[in-house]
Amino acid sequence: MTEGMLEVRALAVAIGNRPVVSEVNFTLPRGQTLAIIGESGSGKSMTAAAIMGLLPAGLRLASHSEVLLGGKPLPLRDESLMRRIRGRRMAMIFQDPMSCLNPYMTVGAQIAEALRHLGVRRGAEQRERIVELLRLVELPTPEVMVRRYPHQMSGGQQQRVMIAMALASEPELLIADEPTSALDATVQAEVLQLLERVQQRLHTSILFITHDLAAAARLAHDIVVLQSGRVVEQGPVGQVIHAPRQAYTKLLVSVRQMLERPQAGHDRPSERPVLVIRDLSYAYPARGPLKKSNKVLDGISLPLHGGRTLGILGESGSGKSTLALIVAGLISPDMGEIELFGDSMAAVRFRMSPRQRRRCQIVFQNPYGALNPRLTIEQTMREPIELLETPGRTGLRSRLEQSLADVGLEPGHLNRYPHQLSGGQRQRVCIARALLSGPELLICDEIVSALDATVQMQVLETVRSLQRRLGFAMLFIGHDIEIVRWVSDDIAVMHRGRVVELGNAEQIVQAPAHSYTRRLIASAPALARASVNPGA
Amino acid sequence: MRRYLPVAATVIRGAAQALGIVFLIFLLCRVVPGDVVDVLGLEGGLTADQAEAMRRELGIDKSLVDQFLDWSGGMLQGEFGRSLRYGVPVSGMLLHALPVSAMLAGGSFAIGLALALVLAVAATSTRSTVLDVAINALNIWSIAAPTFCVGFIGILVFSIWLGWLPVLGGVGMALVIIGLDNAGQLVKPLREELRECVSLPHVRTARAKGLAPMQVAVAHVLPAASPIVLALSGIVLANLVSGTITMEVLFGLPGLGSLALNAIHGRDYPVIMAAITVISVSLVVINTLVDIIARLIDPRMS
Amino acid sequence: MRFPAWYTSSITRGLQQQPAGLILAAATLIPIIAAALLAPLLGTYSPLAQDLLIRNHAPSWVHLLGTDHLGRDVLARLLDGGRTTLLVSTVGTLLAFVLGAGVGLLAVTFGRVSEALVFGFIDLVRAMPGTLLALLLIVALGSGALPLILALGLSFSPQIAYVARASYRREIARDYVRAARTFGGTRLHILGRHIVPNVAGALVTQVAIILPRCIVTESVLSFLGVGSSPDAPTWGRMISDAARSIQTAPHVLVAPLLALIILTICISIVGDHLRRGLDPVRSDDSAIGREARPA
Repeated sequence: MTEGMLEVRALAVAIGNRPVVSEVNFTLPRGQTLAIIGESGSGKSMTAAAIMGLLPAGLRLASHSEVLLGGKPLPLRDESLMRRIRGRRMAMIFQDPMSCLNPYMTVGAQIAEALRHLGVRRGAEQRERIVELLRLVELPTPEVMVRRYPHQMSGGQQQRVMIAMALASEPELLIADEPTSALDATVQAEVLQLLERVQQRLHTSILFITHDLAAAARLAHDIVVLQSGRVVEQGPVGQVIHAPRQAYTKLLVSVRQMLERPQAGHDRPSERPVLVIRDLSYAYPARGPLKKSNKVLDGISLPLHGGRTLGILGESGSGKSTLALIVAGLISPDMGEIELFGDSMAAVRFRMSPRQRRRCQIVFQNPYGALNPRLTIEQTMREPIELLETPGRTGLRSRLEQSLADVGLEPGHLNRYPHQLSGGQRQRVCIARALLSGPELLICDEIVSALDATVQMQVLETVRSLQRRLGFAMLFIGHDIEIVRWVSDDIAVMHRGRVVELGNAEQIVQAPAHSYTRRLIASAPALARASVNPGA
Repeated sequence: MRRYLPVAATVIRGAAQALGIVFLIFLLCRVVPGDVVDVLGLEGGLTADQAEAMRRELGIDKSLVDQFLDWSGGMLQGEFGRSLRYGVPVSGMLLHALPVSAMLAGGSFAIGLALALVLAVAATSTRSTVLDVAINALNIWSIAAPTFCVGFIGILVFSIWLGWLPVLGGVGMALVIIGLDNAGQLVKPLREELRECVSLPHVRTARAKGLAPMQVAVAHVLPAASPIVLALSGIVLANLVSGTITMEVLFGLPGLGSLALNAIHGRDYPVIMAAITVISVSLVVINTLVDIIARLIDPRMS
Repeated sequence: MRFPAWYTSSITRGLQQQPAGLILAAATLIPIIAAALLAPLLGTYSPLAQDLLIRNHAPSWVHLLGTDHLGRDVLARLLDGGRTTLLVSTVGTLLAFVLGAGVGLLAVTFGRVSEALVFGFIDLVRAMPGTLLALLLIVALGSGALPLILALGLSFSPQIAYVARASYRREIARDYVRAARTFGGTRLHILGRHIVPNVAGALVTQVAIILPRCIVTESVLSFLGVGSSPDAPTWGRMISDAARSIQTAPHVLVAPLLALIILTICISIVGDHLRRGLDPVRSDDSAIGREARPA
């Protein structure tokens, strides 16, 4: 049994009288990694903030809670004492590196600030140390990077700077709060590898907060599973993932495993194409006479046959969402042709007729923004009927109730406002609304990205069963390989506005041909492939 | 070079705005009221010949386009025409009045900004509810109590009841009154902005580095709030105009505001146009400068 | 217009937070407004009747607030002036709202050209401080209630127009607006169904901010002697008249001074509470924040 670097005893945090974290206990051994897993609202980030003494205003730490660092209790309730420990013995990195770096300072100046706090004075020594730290986090040309502002760097580079800043004091404890969630899949894998290497070199203990079971399995020795502020299960990685004892953990693991199992019935007879895209190009118009226009789509060609699902897989900035907006008729492309149900869209300057709108519908990523907060669900669902159909209102209410039942909601939901529904329920309403006009093509733009893993699976299963019953074709846009593969018959991989690979879903995942696809698939942390650490 | 293109664009926009305002003033002061000589002639009882001579002298026998070009061209050379009432060059009158108004406006702006910054920073760092109540009260006071009312209260209390100051010539009192008014306008939005800035992710990063509160405030919170401070300054400048004019009238200070008002009462059109043009064009200049500073401070904007 | 339940409940929630100041303000405001509006019915004295034998008399049972330098009843003038002030500033605020919200929203709805034209002009007006613009309009049109209302409406409308444009841009990028477009909703349908209900709160809030400022600006202008018609008593004019006898009869000055400050402070407090209750951004965000807050 190794010595405990960080011991958390009966940690409890409350906002007013509402507990956010209740009685959390765990021990992180020296030089190892402990992952706290949880969905949104589980209290995992508040646990991390409480340990750092950085709880947001309004949240209180219970008086009996105790945190021990290196065997000695942390002075959690004395800000001036905590300040001396933060940035020296423990450091933290956060989710969104862009907003976590000061936009008004060069990254060099921000690291220098951390060094001055440690007593390293301005001058050659400080400059050398900054470059050394940037080299440690494997940034190319550190001498150049020092003078950059955060907005001049990519997300992955920003997160490396954050890590360099946290490592300035070679802390005993590094808290990483969802350090990769805001990054693209390929970058995520690189940052996780970097953390691993840093730990090997500096023997830092890492507290890794994440929602991603696969990422936790890859990096951690031990796992603590949190649900609504309580510890559901904790233990070594191998045990928690391969032999979960609690129902919630089993659900989390099964969701991931379900995605990794290939779907049956992938090859349905292909009908005539509902959508043919040829040489589509689009550039965001220049903002002002001095700016350059920004090319997002560069000669896209894709076919989609009736009743089938075409997955569009790509990272942020690949142009996949722009493609969705163009097919939905919300923006017009600069060049190229779309044949929708056999009709040329270029011939009508990409203006859809009401008939085409009925047959082609879209569901958006963020269910919080897709429903007007001032309208009840019923008012929201009436809108497409009022706009797309001739008025014949008999039996409207029962028709709406039926379509809600199709997506697993109850008639009572019709009278509610969006803010009274959960994220998953809102997304179900959006799907029901899009299906009201009986479309033959449904565009799904990252429809589950904003949802928790367990809710993701429920929504995906609903969509798939509706597709089997109603037979519509789907253009399914996503960034998560496992999810796109689970839903799709065929996959098109997009990178920087181009389709780099197109083919059968299984084939693309098992035997990717293009180098970018190979990189993308290698970076996906899959449970089955996760190398479970034998330690702990 | 790229860095200065947006600055140049801001300057061009400012120039266009100034030109628009000059045109608006010309339109409202010379075109809409009609023939100045007719308006004045009714009072002065001029004969037709005298009126004709006066028109020629004022240059208003020409077309409106020529008049506009003459007038605006003259102003570019510092030539504002002659006062109808006093017969002296308007430029000389402006030179006397400008320093008074500039001192009032600049001094009270400095007082207001300093007071607002101190109060807002103190309230943010101490989280004191007393300070927040004081900030709210000062804000409502400055919105609701016009400066001239506060001026009269000041005169009543300090000059008449306490007998401390002479009734007229209270430059100090005017400075304090407008300064408090400015502080009230600034302090509340500033406080709200600081409250939000304190919980920004990069401020949390600075705290996680273990920096001292002072260092966090100066290096991380205030820069994030600077765009708002600059934007607010523009709004306060507009309020300064009203405050300065009333204080000048109230305390009998010979500034641009008194000049313009006396001219309005005496229908001294060249003086009205000159005074209003000087005030509003200097505001456009200041606002343009504020815009440029905002662009230069933020590395993301270049 | 029927407000959804959560909407009205957010108003009452806002009111419940700090009721004492609000109740006090409202309790002061209602009698002032009622007295000012009903002044002609109550009327014992004419606000214009002079009696040079009783100049600058102190308050008494005959003249409750005393008389001014021409022997006119101060109370009667106060009530009459209050009516003028309230009328001019309310109409000015409404004009600012119609110009700012109506024209601003329509301009952005109907494309870039109309937006550039309308907001180019608004930018120009905004560069002029309100008091200067009012002075200019009075030079151009002569003094009186109409130029004054026009000046108030014009100089306060840019503020509302900018809020309208910013709210419009925020709303037009929402996914529910995009969804409505995929159903074939026209610009006017989207404006009416989605945008106006969502920006109305922010715009009404502006009215609460602008009304006290209109009252103040009106008083400033009449204090400067360029307000409504010369003989109509307004509070600003009463103050500037009373200033002449500030040494001998300060009570003539105190009455309109206090009336003006109390009125504007009370309206500001009520407006502030209304704003806090109505502000759709805050109530929206807090509603979303409660669910979407990361663990």
